[in-house]
Amino acid sequence: MKPFRILISLLLTFVAVICFAPTAWAFCGFYVAKADTKLYNKASQVIIAHDGNRTILTMANDYQGDVKDFALVVPVPVVLQKEQVRVGDPKIIERLDAFSAPRLVEYFDEDPCAEDYDMSRRQGAGTRGAPAASESRNRNEQNSFGVTIEARFSVGEYDILILSATESNGLQTWLIRNGYKIPTGAAQLLQTYIRQNMKFFVAKVNLGEFQKSGYQLLRPLQMAYESPRFMLPIRLGMINASAAQDLIIYILSPKGQTEVTNYRTVKVPSDSEIPVFVKKEFGDFYKAMFAKAYTQEDQKVAFLEYAWDISNCDPCSAEPLNQEELKGAGVFWINSSTPGNVFITRLHVRYTRDKFPEDLMFQETSNQQNFQGRYILRHPFEGEANCQAGQQYKRSLAERFEREAQNLAKLTGWNINDIRKKQPVSQSESRPFWRNIWN
Amino acid sequence: MLLKDIRDYQILFLSLFLVLGIGTRDWTLRPDLIVVAIGTCLITQLLAERAASIWPHLKPNIQNLFAQSKNSSPKLNFDLLKPQKTNSLRSAAITALSLCLLLRAEHYTTMIVAASLAILSKFIFQIGQKHFFNPANFGIIAALILTKDAWVSPGQWGEDWWYALLFAGTGGMVLKRVGRWDTTAAFLGSYAFLEAIRNIWLGWTWDVYFHRLMSGSLLLFALFMITDPRSIPNARISRFVWAACIALLAFILRNQFFISTSIFWALFALAPSTLLFDYLWSAPRFSWSFVNGRLSFPRRQELIT
Repeated sequence: MKPFRILISLLLTFVAVICFAPTAWAFCGFYVAKADTKLYNKASQVIIAHDGNRTILTMANDYQGDVKDFALVVPVPVVLQKEQVRVGDPKIIERLDAFSAPRLVEYFDEDPCAEDYDMSRRQGAGTRGAPAASESRNRNEQNSFGVTIEARFSVGEYDILILSATESNGLQTWLIRNGYKIPTGAAQLLQTYIRQNMKFFVAKVNLGEFQKSGYQLLRPLQMAYESPRFMLPIRLGMINASAAQDLIIYILSPKGQTEVTNYRTVKVPSDSEIPVFVKKEFGDFYKAMFAKAYTQEDQKVAFLEYAWDISNCDPCSAEPLNQEELKGAGVFWINSSTPGNVFITRLHVRYTRDKFPEDLMFQETSNQQNFQGRYILRHPFEGEANCQAGQQYKRSLAERFEREAQNLAKLTGWNINDIRKKQPVSQSESRPFWRNIWN
Repeated sequence: MLLKDIRDYQILFLSLFLVLGIGTRDWTLRPDLIVVAIGTCLITQLLAERAASIWPHLKPNIQNLFAQSKNSSPKLNFDLLKPQKTNSLRSAAITALSLCLLLRAEHYTTMIVAASLAILSKFIFQIGQKHFFNPANFGIIAALILTKDAWVSPGQWGEDWWYALLFAGTGGMVLKRVGRWDTTAAFLGSYAFLEAIRNIWLGWTWDVYFHRLMSGSLLLFALFMITDPRSIPNARISRFVWAACIALLAFILRNQFFISTSIFWALFALAPSTLLFDYLWSAPRFSWSFVNGRLSFPRRQELIT
């Protein structure tokens, strides 16, 4: 086993944030386990509720190793006090994910022989998530490594330390001496954050509290802070990682769409008609399609998967979040007396060290355009259709199936012949041309 | 006639970027807004030019009216009814294309505000026949301040090297003809130097540095916006200093105040200082007809000075 490699590949960078001129603000983080543990790397998820200089950041905890080995280091812009940190409800992230995930919609063709023949949509349904996605304050406890404990508190099942440091080697040594495994190469990166006057948010799990809480998994951590810097550091999480990492960011803003300012923001391919059999393998389809788009864009863009105004959407693409759920996600600018807009942007970033050298920077725009990753299944009419329109309809199916197969091949890069084999055979395919007139 | 004026090249290149941007970069730009921007710019230019040419004739008429109303009927000067030559439609088209490339908006009204103020700024903010705001930059800042639905997407071009080459090549062609490459060099040089210092101090690797400098928006700004010969200082030395000041301000706004559109604010804030630079270092003012002859601009400048 190469514990370091595994640990490092797990370093998930989380989140983002902020920095203002006098007091630098910024987040970014990684997991550091205290023992050799088998860990799994999944897509990290982050919710950022942002308005002006105010941010509430929710980091989903996807740590799947032994809870006693959990430890997390996130650089933060200022010293956070206990009331600025809380434990969130894990269901909120699931809810946001399900709400904003790319989806399949199904339409059923009507009987072409029915009185008014029209292909109107009868049903839009079927959504599936895309692959995912003791308080004691002890200030100024100076020690010989130039590391100061700025705050120490417990929130839910987490014990939290806020550290400041003057020098990266000192910080690295301090963390190692206190039982944290720091990936090699971290010191240089820690340096850049120290130079920007950032503090370090270090969380461990308090086992007693965790058992009392009765939860199976660690819950998300939420932080509130004020700063004009709107960014998400991803560099720490990539220190020695060779594989690409997935990050889903849900950004909630009262204004409109949020975009990345130092990388391109590109919409995922959407609104294609694809063969009906994809319904059974939508997960594979989306993964393949995303991978193709990712390669096509040279692996260096942020993908927009969803953008919608959820406070007063009409039409809504899914059951919108209620006010309590929005509050749970960190939306701080609305309450029952002052309703306001909530625009959600879902960005999917697959990043590697060579293509994403810089942390992600965002800006909110007034762009109100709605967008969703949406793929259309059209079920052909299965019954008897003996009228003339029915015959015509049946004949048109072959062409449609072929078009759908080509769409699918183009989106995913799958072999077109394999796709054709899975397609239903249109009965009219073998029909001789003279039947058209000599019926 | 076509492509005789260096501005025709500029119009051609900017249109090419617009087509490329829409075709290959997944922009949210709407065609109707492009039409609105171009229409507003051209109409405002025509009206404003007309008004500006009428004004000198109108003024004596009004004065006459007051002076002579007591004893005799006023003598009207009918010069103002003569048709006027319009020669700045090219500049208006360039302004419109720059706005289309850079500014994003939700509503028509925002684009109309930006485009009309951009053109009007040339007529309002001028001293001794020289306007000192870059029209497109003025329009962008006006829209950002005055409306609620305008924005600029600094990341829209990405950081592909072939865009950098395209911008540098086309920009270089125009700059060579107008003799303003020094401004681009001073701006990019200073900015790159400041970013390098910051990179070393923070301890980032150099790919971070190149990623920051390869931004298509930054290059487009440096090659096509900051070099507008009509609104920037006339003397070469003052252009060097002026461009370096803009680079410094843009650097501070971006890294200390986290403003993603810092280059536009920096140019806007320092544009009026053009007057000061022209006062400190005098040189012949730029004129488009000047460069359209066969002689290169520096050569002509030598002949005159």
